[in-house]
Amino acid sequence: MYHGSPLLLSVLGPLTAIKIEGQPNHLLCSLVSVIADFICALLIRATGRILQTARGLNLKFLGLDTMLEDIEIMPSGDIAALVYLWNPFTIFTCVGFNTSPVENLFVVLSLYGASAGIVPLAAFGWVIASHLSLYPVVLVIPVILLLGYCPDTPPRKLFLQRDLQKTGAEGSTKNHVQHRPLTNKPTEATFFWWRVILFFMWASIWIAYVLILCAISVKEYGGLPEMFKRTYGFILTVKDLSPNIGVLWYFFAEVFDFFRNFFLIVFHVNILFMILPLAIRLNHRPCFLAFVYLAISSMLKSYPSVGDSALYLGLMALFVNELAEMQFSFFLFCGYVGVSLLSPVMHNLWIWRGTGNANFYYATAMVYACFQIILVVESVNAMLNHDRKIRKLCTTTEG
Amino acid sequence: MLSNDDVSEGERFMNQILRFDTMSTGMEIPEMITAHIMDLGGEVNHHKFLPQFNRFHPLHFFLGPDAGTVPENYSCSSYGINTVGIIRAPRGDGKEAIVLVTPYNSLKITRAEALSMGIAYALFSLLARVTWLSKDIVWLAGDSRHGEYTAVASWLRDYHTASFGDLKHSEICAASNLSEMKTMHNSFRHAGTMAAALVIKVTNRSTEFEKDALTIYAEASNGQMPNLDLINIVNYLAVHGQGYRVKVQKIWSLLNVWWLKSLGQLIEMLGKLAGSLNPQWNFGIPVSEYVECTATLASSLYNQALGVPTGPHGAFRDYQVDAITMEISPKFSSSLNNRQYEILLHVGRLVEGVVRSVNNLLEKFHQSFFLYLLTSPSRFVSVGVYMIAFALLVAPLPLVAASLFSDATKSNPDAEKDKYASKPASTLQPAPTFTSWKWLYAAKQVLVVHLWSAIVTLLPYFVDQIPDSSPTTKLSIWIVLSIITLLFLDSFSGSSFPSTIRSRDTEWILLKSVTVAATFIGLCLMSVINFATAEIGALLLVPMCLTAVPLRLDNKVNTLRALIRGACNVIFIFVGFPVTVFFVLKGALEGFDNMRFGDFWNWAESLWAWNSATYIYMCMVHLPCWVLCIQTLLHRF
Repeated sequence: MYHGSPLLLSVLGPLTAIKIEGQPNHLLCSLVSVIADFICALLIRATGRILQTARGLNLKFLGLDTMLEDIEIMPSGDIAALVYLWNPFTIFTCVGFNTSPVENLFVVLSLYGASAGIVPLAAFGWVIASHLSLYPVVLVIPVILLLGYCPDTPPRKLFLQRDLQKTGAEGSTKNHVQHRPLTNKPTEATFFWWRVILFFMWASIWIAYVLILCAISVKEYGGLPEMFKRTYGFILTVKDLSPNIGVLWYFFAEVFDFFRNFFLIVFHVNILFMILPLAIRLNHRPCFLAFVYLAISSMLKSYPSVGDSALYLGLMALFVNELAEMQFSFFLFCGYVGVSLLSPVMHNLWIWRGTGNANFYYATAMVYACFQIILVVESVNAMLNHDRKIRKLCTTTEG
Repeated sequence: MLSNDDVSEGERFMNQILRFDTMSTGMEIPEMITAHIMDLGGEVNHHKFLPQFNRFHPLHFFLGPDAGTVPENYSCSSYGINTVGIIRAPRGDGKEAIVLVTPYNSLKITRAEALSMGIAYALFSLLARVTWLSKDIVWLAGDSRHGEYTAVASWLRDYHTASFGDLKHSEICAASNLSEMKTMHNSFRHAGTMAAALVIKVTNRSTEFEKDALTIYAEASNGQMPNLDLINIVNYLAVHGQGYRVKVQKIWSLLNVWWLKSLGQLIEMLGKLAGSLNPQWNFGIPVSEYVECTATLASSLYNQALGVPTGPHGAFRDYQVDAITMEISPKFSSSLNNRQYEILLHVGRLVEGVVRSVNNLLEKFHQSFFLYLLTSPSRFVSVGVYMIAFALLVAPLPLVAASLFSDATKSNPDAEKDKYASKPASTLQPAPTFTSWKWLYAAKQVLVVHLWSAIVTLLPYFVDQIPDSSPTTKLSIWIVLSIITLLFLDSFSGSSFPSTIRSRDTEWILLKSVTVAATFIGLCLMSVINFATAEIGALLLVPMCLTAVPLRLDNKVNTLRALIRGACNVIFIFVGFPVTVFFVLKGALEGFDNMRFGDFWNWAESLWAWNSATYIYMCMVHLPCWVLCIQTLLHRF
C-alpha cells in the first residue's frame, strides 16, 4: 500500500512496472535512489564548503585564526559527503528501494539553498520535502534562521563584544565613535527580514504549485481532502502497525482504543515541544539545529527507516571540526553497529523462526532509540562546549 | 484405542511390502499404499521430487528454504516418489493437521522400515474410523533413496509454496515410464497447517538394556529445537504408558572420564553435606546420574552448535512446525523378526496417544519452550538458566573494552600537554585534536580484518569449483588464498595509524579495545541465532581476547607473571585456530588414529551444505578475532 505523495508515485510508479530482462525487478527504482543519493552527497559537500568558509571568516573576525592555524582542520564537506555515501544505511535504502533517498535529497536541497542564500531553492526544497514526508515541516525554523542570519557562527554575543571593543579602541584613538569597520565582517547581528519574507512568498508559490499538481493527479480518486487523509492522516494517526525500527507501532498495538487519540497527540507534540527550546539555544547554528531536528524526528516519527538515520549521520559529519571533542563516540559506534546487526536477527527470530516474540524485536528498537537520544544529547553538548571554548579563548586573547 | 485387529492389519501390510524384494521402477510400494489408503477412505497423492544438490552458494544463508535448484542432468528414474495419505477429520474444520512420517528406501526396503510403515498403516486404519479426530492426519511415506531429509524437505517445500515446481519435468516423465500412474494421484493435496509432526523409525540395532528403547532426536537446523511439550508428551507416554526406556543422544566417551566422575563425587558430597545442614537444600544428585546428564548435555550442545539437523524432523522446523524423530530399537538379545507384533502394538499405542494429545490442543503448544538444552529425556536446562552462565562469561568483554578505551584516551591528554608545553606560543589552547575520535584508526584496522573474513567466507565457493581435487588440496588452497588476501589487504590499507598522532603504546590498547568490542557484538549476535555455538565460541574467544598483550611488552618486563602471560597467549592463540579446535575436538571424541588434514574441509563443506550459521560464525567472528589477537601479540613499538 502506497501512502506517499501522488507526485512521487507518478514518477516512480512507471519505473516499478518496467522490467529489464534478467535483472531484478526494482533495478530502475534503485537506480533512482542511487542518483538521488549522489546528488544529495554533492549538495552536502557544497553545504560543507559554505559552512567552512563561514567558519574561517568568523574565526578571523574574532581574531582566533592565527592561534588555531596549527590545528588540523578537516574538510568537513568532503567527509560528510563520504559518510553519507558510504553509510551502510544509505546503501541498504538503495538496495531495498526506499523512497527516503528522494526525501533526503529535498531536505538537503532546502538546507543547501538556505545556506547559499538561494531563497527560491530553499523554499522549493522545504515545500517538496514537507510534501513528501511531513516531518521536514519543522525545518522551517533552521531555514529561516539560515536565511535571516548567515551560516553557522559562534554565539552572536561574542561578535557584539568584539564589535564594542574594536569601536571602543578606535574611539579612544580617533575620537570618532560612529565609524564602524563593517566591510569585512561576515556576520550581521541584524536579521535579514526581506529574505525571510521572500522565502515565505516563494514557499507559498511552491505550495500552490504542488497542490495544483496534486489536485490534477488525484482528481479521479477523491480530490485533495482524500489525499491529505491518505498521506498526512496516515502519518499522523499511525494506522499501519506493522513492525518497523521505530517505537510507536508496538505502543499503539498495545494501547487501549479510547486512549489512542490522547497518546497520538502526546507523541506528536513531543517533537514540537523540543523545537522551541532548541531553537533558542542553538539559534546561532541553524545548520546544526537542522541536524538536531532531523535526528529527533527520525527517532519519534511514526514510520522511521534507516534512511533517516543515514541523513542525520551524514549531516552530523558536517560538524566534524566542532564535534572533535565529542564523548562516547566509540560507545555510540558500537551501539549502532550492534543494534543494526541484532535487529534483523531478532526480526527473523520472531517472524520466521517463531521462537522469539515481538518483545525481542521491540527491545532492539528501544535500544536504537536510546542510542539516538545519546547521540543527540552528546552532540549538542559537544557543540555547546565548543562554543564555550571559543568564548574562553576570546576573553583570554582580549586580556 | 489401537485394537488387535488394527495391529494384525498393520502386520499384514508390512508382510505385503516385504514381498516386493526386487523392484524395477520403485512404483510398487506407492501403488500398494495408494490402494490400501483408498480402501480406508482416505485421500492420497504422489509427490515426485528430485534430489537437491547442496552446493555452497553465499546467498543460501540469507534466503529461505525455497532456494533450491533443479539439477540439469536428471533422468526419469532418479525421481523419488513420496506417497501422501490424508484423513479428513470428521470434527475438524480442515485448518490443522498432524503429520506422521515413515521414511523407506524404495530401492531396497529393509524389515525395520517395513515395520515402521506397518505401524503407520495400523494407526492410519484406526484413525480413519475414529470420531474424535479434529485435526487432519497426513501420512507421508517418504522415499528415502536420496536421503530421508531430502524426501521430507522437498515435500514440505512443495506443500508450502503451493505451486508444483518441477511440473515440467514430471510431465515429461509421466509420458514415459510413469504413465501407469493415475492422473488423479498427481494433483497435490493439502491439509491444514501442521500442528506437529512425528517421524517414526525402527532400527535393527538392539540396545544393551532389558527394555525396548525409544531414542528421541530433536535438533533441527541451526540449533533450533521443537517445542519442549512435544518431547514431554512422547517421553511421558512412552515411559508411563508403554514401559519404554527413553533416551536422547549422549556422548558415550564422556561416561568413563575420571575427572567428570570425581567432579560428580564432589557435587554429591556437597549435596549430602548441604542436605544434612538443611533438609530443604536437596540439590545433590548421584554420581552416575551426574555423569550421564553431563554426557547428554554435551551431546545436546554439540548437536545444536553444529547446526545440522539430526534427522528428517529438521525440515519441519524451517516451517515452524514442531517435529521429532522417534527411533525404536528392540531390547537386548532380541531381533525384530519374532517381536514385530509386540512392537507394532506398543509403538502404535504410543503414537496414538501422542496424536490424541496434539489433537486435543485448542491452540498451539505454549510459545515459550523452544530455547533449552536437554540433560535427559525428562530434564532440561532452560534459556533463563543457561543465559546467566553465558552472560557471566561475556560480561568481562564490554568492561575490558571500556576500561582499555578510557585508559587509552586518558593517557593521551598528558602527551598532548607535553607537546604543547614545548611550544610556548600555544600553551593557552586546549585545541581540538580529535582525541576522542582516535579509535577510528583501530576501528579501520578491525574493519579491514572483518572484510577479509567476509572474503574468506566466500572463498570456498570458488575453491569448490576446482575439479578433481582432494579435500586436502582444497583446504590448503583455501588457507593459502586466505593468507595472500590478508597480506594484500594489509598492505593495501597501509599504516593504520597516521604519524601525527603516533603514540605506539596506546595504539595496541585501542586496537585491543575495538577487537574486544567487536567480539562482544559478534558473540551476543550468535547467542541469539544459535546459543550453543556462541557458548562454545565464547569459551575459546574470551580468554584469548582478554589476555592478549604484545609479546614485546612481556619481553621487556621480564617478570614471571609476564612470562606466564606470554606463554598463555601463545597457547590460546594456538588452540584458538578453528582448524586446531576441530582436530582437538575430533581427536578427543573419536581418537587420533584415522585423522586426515582434509577432514576439516569435509566438515566445513557439510556445514555450508546445511546452511549452518556456525560456518558464518567461524569465519566472520572467530577468525577475525583470532587474527586481531595475533596482530596485538606481534605489535611492534
